[in-house]
Amino acid sequence: MHFHKFLLITVIFLVSCGQKKPVHEYKDFIFGTIVDIKIYGETEDKSENISNLIFNDFKYLHNYLHPWEKSLISSMNKALASGDKFHVDDKEILHIIHENKILASASENYFNPAMGKLISMWGFHQDAPEQNVPSSEKIKDFVANMSTMDDLHINQTTLSSSNKNFQLDLGGYAKGYALDRAKKILATNSISNALVNIGGNIMAIGMHGDRKWVVGIQHPRKPSAIASIELPSGWSIGTSGDYQRYFMADETRYSHLINPQTGFPADNSQSATIMIPPAKNSGTLSDVYSKPLFIAPKLKKGQLADKLGINFFMIVLADGNILISSKMNQSIRWLEKNHEQIISIH
Amino acid sequence: MSKLFQFIKIIRLGDAFIIISFLAIIFWAISRSWNMPSGQYLKIESNYEDPIIFSLNQSANKNISGFLGSSVISINEGKARFVKSPCTKKYCIHHGWIDKVNQTIVCLPNQITISIVGNSESYDTVNY
Repeated sequence: MHFHKFLLITVIFLVSCGQKKPVHEYKDFIFGTIVDIKIYGETEDKSENISNLIFNDFKYLHNYLHPWEKSLISSMNKALASGDKFHVDDKEILHIIHENKILASASENYFNPAMGKLISMWGFHQDAPEQNVPSSEKIKDFVANMSTMDDLHINQTTLSSSNKNFQLDLGGYAKGYALDRAKKILATNSISNALVNIGGNIMAIGMHGDRKWVVGIQHPRKPSAIASIELPSGWSIGTSGDYQRYFMADETRYSHLINPQTGFPADNSQSATIMIPPAKNSGTLSDVYSKPLFIAPKLKKGQLADKLGINFFMIVLADGNILISSKMNQSIRWLEKNHEQIISIH
Repeated sequence: MSKLFQFIKIIRLGDAFIIISFLAIIFWAISRSWNMPSGQYLKIESNYEDPIIFSLNQSANKNISGFLGSSVISINEGKARFVKSPCTKKYCIHHGWIDKVNQTIVCLPNQITISIVGNSESYDTVNY
């Protein structure tokens, strides 16, 4: 009797040890950042093949949408800047432009993909930005004639611009859009459990075995996570941070997140993280809508989140204090909380 | 075999309980250390080399090839950092040491990441 009990316990232990299914992980450098794909519960061959399909698709997208190297977008910018019309018969690019118009307008142009010229003035149209602050005169001039997506006119397949400053820069959109394309590739190839991370823009598909995928949210000033959160299937999460692309000049940090209203890098936040429920463009929204919440003035952030329908957000403000939505606050698990930090719940 | 049954006959319920618990603890300890080696490791990933995992219990410099050239990563008794890199801004070097599980330093220009891995990974990926 006792012997049987012992056997039973042993068997339970051995069974529980042997049931771990593997996660296959692949990394590549695309979009100027790390792309990391994890696939759960599939064979190594299949995981590798599908990851390569996704990497190749991302490389194609990157070349196609690149804001400053030779691409369809840079040819378009060149033509529009010299006052010419530009013909596109590519349905996808017309869809992308249309979607950017809608998202920019919804975000009150805090997400403004039409100001590529300003981003370039700040030196962020190179892989390693120069540490030059443009003259305030130049910035003032630009802001006085700020280009928006409304300056781009679409007549069937012909594009024209009514503002010489107009320059499309999809740097705040492309990674999210790529996530939505990855979701389709995974579905077509019957992968039901995967986690795709493009430089911090992440989408979860299915689960990690019997638990949800868990994402660590980067601490904006430390090389570790400030919190972690479960990302249910189909959800996306995105962060805009002043630590991602920036330069220091005279001990001031100048990040790539430029406030269209001032022409200067936004300096009221260190990072803004948002989580978007399953939708056709969930990846896109998680990339695009973290910008308005990062850039908008402190007192406007919560209101803007409500307007954009973002129920899950967490913003680390410039002083290190945190503004978090009540739903995010219920789901988040703090890993590093400092006692002087003030956490305001929206 | 009959000796084993004789032994089972003479032991009391309490004895059996102690023996079983003791064996259970041993099994638990073995299975734990089998699946997840204790301690922490440094994982170095580059697009130009296969991922490598080093024990953190050493003092050594490692040369790793990246997109621009060779970076040097120093491991020193439980912690690690970049000490040389061909990138222009050297943000990877300025990061300094990392020593906790899941801490990561990424050198984007040279396409090398170093991260501490161990037995208490509390998330699958990082929203950096």
